Amino acid sequence: MNIGPQTPPEASVTATAAELADLLRRVAARDSAAFATLYKQSRAKLYGVVARILTKGDLSGEVLQEVFVRIWEKAGDYDVDKGSPIAWMATIARNRALDEIRRVRPVSLDDMPEGFEPAAEEVDPLGARDRSERLSALMDCLRTLDEEKRKAVLLAYYRGFTREALAKRMQRPVPTIKTWLRRGLAQLRDCLS
Amino acid sequence: MSLSPEDDLSAAEYALGTLDPGERAAIAARRQREPELDEAIRTWEERLSPLAEAVPPIEPPRDYLPEIEARIHAPAPAPAAPNDTVAALRSRLTRWRAAAIGATGLAAMLAIGIVFREAARETAPHEFVAVLQKSADSPAFAVTVNLDTRELTVRPVAAPAPTGKSYELWIIEAKLGAPRSLGVIDPANTTRADKLAAFDPAVVKDATYAVTVEPPGGSPNGKPSGAPVFVGKLIPVGP
Repeated sequence: MNIGPQTPPEASVTATAAELADLLRRVAARDSAAFATLYKQSRAKLYGVVARILTKGDLSGEVLQEVFVRIWEKAGDYDVDKGSPIAWMATIARNRALDEIRRVRPVSLDDMPEGFEPAAEEVDPLGARDRSERLSALMDCLRTLDEEKRKAVLLAYYRGFTREALAKRMQRPVPTIKTWLRRGLAQLRDCLS
Repeated sequence: MSLSPEDDLSAAEYALGTLDPGERAAIAARRQREPELDEAIRTWEERLSPLAEAVPPIEPPRDYLPEIEARIHAPAPAPAAPNDTVAALRSRLTRWRAAAIGATGLAAMLAIGIVFREAARETAPHEFVAVLQKSADSPAFAVTVNLDTRELTVRPVAAPAPTGKSYELWIIEAKLGAPRSLGVIDPANTTRADKLAAFDPAVVKDATYAVTVEPPGGSPNGKPSGAPVFVGKLIPVGP
């Protein structure tokens, strides 16, 4: 790899969207060194996405590998007009994790990832420091949702909960959760358009 | 865009991940042949994807880069577009026919009874085949359906055995509502079933066929336990 001095681990959170987009372009051109840099700069973020949904460390590692193989294969599909590079890569990671968890078994509330503090599971996008324009717009719309609808959408997004798991967590019947989700999502769509 | 509001919200819940496994499998199969639904799912993924920016990073327990690099630089299996796959299957059918015609002796015929039946295809034009695959270069099963007898034959092409699990075949069609099981299929040997007899020929012909990974012996509740791992649609074969 030829990127000068050893890249510090903090690079994983400091790479800018423009840098990641450039790396993806080079990966699409089959640049292995760029791929190694992309891995170093996005592995912790993508592992964060995957490990919040899957509940076993070994499974998360396996899925992370598949996610990067897919990023290598699909890098050419990335379209800067459709979102940030990290959002694009996270969508691949999330979809792969969801397919895995739906295949194995439903998410159990009692089965937390190793070393995972229950308090740490609630990601709060409203408190995020570095906000892209798209995240800001989405957050503005999220704020217009009722508290419980917002919570249902965010728990589903970050933890991969099904309606059933949400029903248990929020102590409401499944049909109520379905109504919340669909109304909340329709409201988000209308707000964003 | 003529997607119904109901389907758009199903696309939204698919992207969000809140559908139960059966509904998820049904939408996953439908998006393969409904471009508008597929597009709606992508649009929803894009709408929600900025949320990922707020995910706090977690350092993976070890460095996976060497394994990932080994995987991406491994020599790829000979690429085959779907049409190539079908062409390959057709040419194999032709060879089978020739073999069957050339075969002498009852024992040989019994041993390759399946081939013999395929040789009889000339008089049974209502045969269809579906190649069930994960992607264009990884055909896993070939499903043959005789629309007259509604007989179903599933042959492994290159299906990896699911360790400690079973493969189950499903028929998915809007008119049926939920996916319907066609039974557990064998990743190593040909599986035959007559379960299609219960379905309308038009449904059989237009349906999507999908394979899921299930507990040994098949889904315990008659619903798919997860998203399909292989999927395909029937195309006519033979004359």
